[in-house]
Amino acid sequence: MSLLTADRRAAGAGRAKGPAGRPRAATGRRALIWFGTHAVAIALAIMFMAPLLFMFLTAVMSDEQTLSGDLWPTSWHWGNFAEVLSGDMLRWLGNSLLYAVLGTVFMLVSSVPVAYALARFRFRGRKVAFVLVITAMMLPPQITVVPLYIVWARFELTGTLWPLILPLLFGDAFSIFLLRQFLVTIPRDYADAARVDGCGEFTTMVRVILPMARPALAAVALFQFFFCWNDYYGPLVYAKPDSWPLAVGIATFRAAHNVEWNLTMAATLLTVLPVIIVFLLAQRAFVRGVTLTGVKG
Amino acid sequence: MRTTTPRRIAAAIAAAALGLTSACTAGGGGSDDGGPKAEDKQTIQVWHGWSADHEVKGFEDAVNGFRKLHPNITVKVTGNQTDDQITNAIRGGTPPDVVASFTTDNLGQFCQSGAWQELTPRLKKSGVDLNIFPKAVQDYTQFRGKRCALPLLADAYGLYFNKKLMKGNAPPKTMSELAALAKKLTVRDRDGRIKVAGFMPSVQYYEHTPQHIATSFGVKWLGADGKANFSRDPAFTEYLKWEKDLLDWYGYDEAKRFMRTMGQEFEASNPFQKGKVAMAVDGEWRTKFIEKEAPGLDYGTAPPPVSDARAAQYGGGFTLGTIMGIPRGSKHADAAWEFVRYLTTDTGSLVTLANALGNVPSTLQALSSPDLRLPAQFGTFLNVFKHPGTTTSPSSPNGGDYLVQLQKFVQDEWEPGKAQDPARALKALDEKVDKALKLAGG
Amino acid sequence: MTGLAAWTAAGRERRRGERGDGGPGGGPGARGGWSAIGARARRRRRLRVLAFLSPWLIGFAMFFGYPLLATVYFSFTRYDLFNLEYVGLTNYRFLFQDEDAWHAMRNTLWLVAVTVPLRVLFGLGIAQLLTHLKRGGAVFRSVFYLPYLVPPVSATVAFVFVLNPGTGPVEHLADMVGLPMPDWFNEPEWSKPGLALLGLWAVGDVMIILLAAVLDVPKHLYEAAEIDGANGWQRFRHITLPTISPVLAFAAVTGVIQTLQYFTQAMVAGKVAAGQSDQPGTQTVPGYPGGSTLTFPQWLYDEGFRQFNMGYACVLALVMFGVAMLFTLVLLRQFRAFTDGEAS
Repeated sequence: MSLLTADRRAAGAGRAKGPAGRPRAATGRRALIWFGTHAVAIALAIMFMAPLLFMFLTAVMSDEQTLSGDLWPTSWHWGNFAEVLSGDMLRWLGNSLLYAVLGTVFMLVSSVPVAYALARFRFRGRKVAFVLVITAMMLPPQITVVPLYIVWARFELTGTLWPLILPLLFGDAFSIFLLRQFLVTIPRDYADAARVDGCGEFTTMVRVILPMARPALAAVALFQFFFCWNDYYGPLVYAKPDSWPLAVGIATFRAAHNVEWNLTMAATLLTVLPVIIVFLLAQRAFVRGVTLTGVKG
Repeated sequence: MRTTTPRRIAAAIAAAALGLTSACTAGGGGSDDGGPKAEDKQTIQVWHGWSADHEVKGFEDAVNGFRKLHPNITVKVTGNQTDDQITNAIRGGTPPDVVASFTTDNLGQFCQSGAWQELTPRLKKSGVDLNIFPKAVQDYTQFRGKRCALPLLADAYGLYFNKKLMKGNAPPKTMSELAALAKKLTVRDRDGRIKVAGFMPSVQYYEHTPQHIATSFGVKWLGADGKANFSRDPAFTEYLKWEKDLLDWYGYDEAKRFMRTMGQEFEASNPFQKGKVAMAVDGEWRTKFIEKEAPGLDYGTAPPPVSDARAAQYGGGFTLGTIMGIPRGSKHADAAWEFVRYLTTDTGSLVTLANALGNVPSTLQALSSPDLRLPAQFGTFLNVFKHPGTTTSPSSPNGGDYLVQLQKFVQDEWEPGKAQDPARALKALDEKVDKALKLAGG
Repeated sequence: MTGLAAWTAAGRERRRGERGDGGPGGGPGARGGWSAIGARARRRRRLRVLAFLSPWLIGFAMFFGYPLLATVYFSFTRYDLFNLEYVGLTNYRFLFQDEDAWHAMRNTLWLVAVTVPLRVLFGLGIAQLLTHLKRGGAVFRSVFYLPYLVPPVSATVAFVFVLNPGTGPVEHLADMVGLPMPDWFNEPEWSKPGLALLGLWAVGDVMIILLAAVLDVPKHLYEAAEIDGANGWQRFRHITLPTISPVLAFAAVTGVIQTLQYFTQAMVAGKVAAGQSDQPGTQTVPGYPGGSTLTFPQWLYDEGFRQFNMGYACVLALVMFGVAMLFTLVLLRQFRAFTDGEAS
């Protein structure tokens, strides 16, 4: 690489050296860059937050005002939230929780041993198994939906969320992949020490390795929870109106409520709120999980 | 080794598929054997599509009559159900016990596939004479000899006009009169924006679907061979030209803008109720909505106008109705039948429901009942309903697919002016509809 | 722990495996001599592997292997869940006459071709920006990441409203500055760009892996470049870009595979914008406005679960399988390149 003679520091690199002793021009330029980058970041941040803000402001407007295009509510209708949080919404909420909680628990129980085996056992076909995990993770669910629907219909489980929850008892490819990626980074010595102490493989996994893998477990559980919470396609295929989760219910909300945008936005906001809260509480696990792999979410 | 692997896979597929399909056909049998008798204590699930408060209440009132008669049967009613939801539940093997659908076009699919049970044996056993229903109604509740539904009230379509906005004009009788009057009654503001539309011909205006408007041109929906008829019947081209001429007079973009801001069909903001349109084709139920939501509106009704060549047919129109049936796989079919029979044939119940919904009763006896309490404007619809020239759109094995396709064509291609040559476009449309029909096994 | 590190960790582990430093249970006795005990131990070891893997082995066979084969079988039939009839290649022939399927495929390809590169570029841009921020970096990172977590259905409903002309606040704002606004989700020409915009808003997933990759570039490379006097662009062009290019490629390929499945946002946008749909008594056509948001998976859903042409839906599923498999193979190759590359 042939490099040039300009004498400029990267804004991000070399943090240790202070600006002291720099020529004036360079300091001014650095200030300009500092100002520029932060200005861009702030502008972008406003744009990123604007839709959520608009949602909120619309959610507390009166029905007539939502059609006016006004930005700021002239009167604050907090009752809108109470109005939507009844009847259908509560049932949808219950269904969403059932799907997400059970789904997450089932996924953890079934995926952890598989990921552990793929990460720590040496056996013939291990590479093939791992490739199959990645394949199953990447291929769209639509490919197998028709025969699966037929099977579930045969068990008379269509019309419920069970066709989406039960398969999670048999491992989720994405979670297996992500957990395995984390487990291979745990030094072998820990497990070996446990084994010397006479622990069986299962005990070693539960007592020694899993506590160390807690961040990865948290990330995987969060992803699964949000996947179920957000899932629209699955419930659309399988669920009936009385087993609809929030995602499907919200999509029909507007038509059912005669296009009352304020109520629609209030309901929508209520589906977003738990996600935001969990994210703020568990931010680190999230970022860690995403960076661990960078697929699906 | 090389030859056995594919063969083994093939065998596995065959076995898996066989195991499945034999189980499936055995599982969904859907006849009346096995379920509890009508006299047993049980709960039945009923799905219907009504959603407005007065409609839901009206249905509840009618059901209460049944509850008194059959105290052993608990009826659980769920409203606002679309055909998609109904079909999904039936195909998925977990249906309710009774379903009602507004989309009579889907009857062909319901009957042909067996998704709704054949009712003839039950009709015979219970001694119900089909002649209590008017002839046209008998027709649209059966498909190719299979009777899988009974009528639960009927709908007839007519022209509503706002007397104040008509400025003293009489309601038009022909489509050219309608177009001329529509232009005359339209009011624009200074920027050329439509304030009041005389008549909005677009298929995107609620009930102005091709199904309802093209009927005025005397279209024959399907050929004698059951195939699409769009290019063979010149009435379709006539309809298209009429529709686009008037729409272009408004200006397509302006008409679209108007429709986007005009309000909601089944709500107080309905543009006819708000005086934003002078004339509109709508169903008889609108009388009830106006009574509830715009009681001060001074309006009249008339039979829908007809194309100039068909002036003799004036007075007739389009009719369809809500259909009710028992899904395949219902676990309480006997009780469900009692419910269907009561709701569709009991005069008192039908009159209660007709009064509450502002619908046309679907039995002859209920039609002439002295207890019918309907607004003065309602008479038009009873007359349209009884008129010999009144027609309906025939069922096909894949539901109202041909209607959906026509609507889609008019909305997406014809109205924006993307299809210049109607003859060619309609031919292509015919082919498309026929191919889809073939795929569905029609 | 970053994306890159995760990939390479796999390679490290694999090489160690090849060196054969005794796996769990592989005690010294397992190698020579005592063959009977060795065999028993091996069998026990195999059983243990099987036991650990069994949930997934069963799951894979039941929920992936079998349905895939069954999809092939059903593609030769006409099946509406009541009646099954073998129809040979009829469904395949129909695919070539089915304008809607091709239309849907074009829409999906449009989304792949436009949203994937845009998202990767935008994500990279934001990642770069974040690395240059001295203050509030963590706050900004959260702000940029958060929209990605908003449930897609909710995000779409919100976007349709916010961009809705007449009632939405965005047009209101645009009016104030005198910007013309298209009728986003009501115009066939603008609905897909509207969806692309939604994709850019939810760029968080791409942004965060690229951010990890950018932060993972060894500092000494930058320091060396700095001594040589490279400017910002040159450092980005000659150091950042080559180092993170595998992660970029990874983001692009997974982006393609995800976009091939694009369903929820397109379907919800069409439904909510049309407003009228989903009322009993109306027959809705997917892809409002004018079929412009009809994606391939939506057409599959429509054929399978609204028309109940299960056989034909299986043909559509196989088309999807073919395309998605192609990109999955690319990904797998890339994966191998990653782990092998680490050795050199």
